[in-house]
Amino acid sequence: MELEDTGVEGLLTTREQSMALFADFTAEGVGEARRTECRDALVHLHLPLVEHCARRFRNRGEPYDDLLQVGTIGLLKSIDRFDPDRGVEFSTYATPTIIGEIKRYFRDKGWAIRVPRRLQEMRMMIGAATSELSQSLGRSPTPREIAERIGVTVEDVMEGLESSNAYSTLSLDAGGDGSDEGGPSMLDAIGEDDAALEHVEIRESIKPLIEQLPAREKQILLLRFFRGMTQSQIAAEIGVSQMHVSRLLNRTLEQLRESLHGRA
Amino acid sequence: MTTRSDVELRVPADTAYVAVLRTTTAGLAARLDFTLDDIEDLRIAVGEACAMVLEQARADGDLHATFDLGSGELSVTVSADADAASEPDKDGFAWQVLTALTTRASAEVTPDAVGITLSMKSALLD
Repeated sequence: MELEDTGVEGLLTTREQSMALFADFTAEGVGEARRTECRDALVHLHLPLVEHCARRFRNRGEPYDDLLQVGTIGLLKSIDRFDPDRGVEFSTYATPTIIGEIKRYFRDKGWAIRVPRRLQEMRMMIGAATSELSQSLGRSPTPREIAERIGVTVEDVMEGLESSNAYSTLSLDAGGDGSDEGGPSMLDAIGEDDAALEHVEIRESIKPLIEQLPAREKQILLLRFFRGMTQSQIAAEIGVSQMHVSRLLNRTLEQLRESLHGRA
Repeated sequence: MTTRSDVELRVPADTAYVAVLRTTTAGLAARLDFTLDDIEDLRIAVGEACAMVLEQARADGDLHATFDLGSGELSVTVSADADAASEPDKDGFAWQVLTALTTRASAEVTPDAVGITLSMKSALLD
């Protein structure tokens, strides 16, 4: 990354380099070899832009490297479509395309199985309506209230909720992937509450099993079953959706059940 | 009361069918205007109850589920034929989960059947 340490002067050079390369890249009568060379150089030159865009989507459960990769596809599309005569900065032109590519990746990749777009959108509308209504009502909404808010039937809402089970659970550990740039993971965002949990009486029989759980699952399990918080409250405290809490709880109980079986 | 209506479901005593019962529970709870929190809790509780019942169920038997729909209250009973059934461990974690998630949980054990009944009152009743 020779570009990383450049100051203002270096940035100007980047822009100038970019303009020169685009001039060659788009000029009439330039040989195919030179065009390819320019394209490669342009990709190289603007990779930091992709890194910048991809960084905004860290902590959402997809590997940073994958985001870089799809972001680079966006960059390639931008380079091929960019018209330097329009007088727009390349970075201004490319950023929406790169971000669009990353967003599309999330939209397509977030689902464990292929769910029709209609249901994906329904799920998102339910999610939005749920948090709005939870705020205004001061409690978890009913499917009917959600249906009225979105303007669909209760059956549609239930269908959307079922389909959300197909949405792959993004790990709360996502984010801090061990790389030097790894920002705080969602797990780090979870407030420390161990002191309060210490007073909780956990039955001896399951203590070793709970101890073996990953920290996030343990936290959610304890909050739900030993501190009596609702899924919505846990969701608010941890900063994830209630549906996500529900999925994690389900999975954790399943794991506990399996390990209890294994020991029996 | 006369407003009560019932739903009954019989599926093979196999964990693969537990999802059907969980989904049915959620659908019925939605009809009764339970909140999402309650619905998700019930869904988990029914899954847990099924797991407990299936532990003792005869492999070739059936898993019965009956749903009593009251106003603002839903009771679910899951039961299965069993050989030499025994009372579920009420000190165990699974039972603790059931009682934490529902308004009331009870077990009915006869020598050849085991059943668990869960009731939940809608949070909107108070």
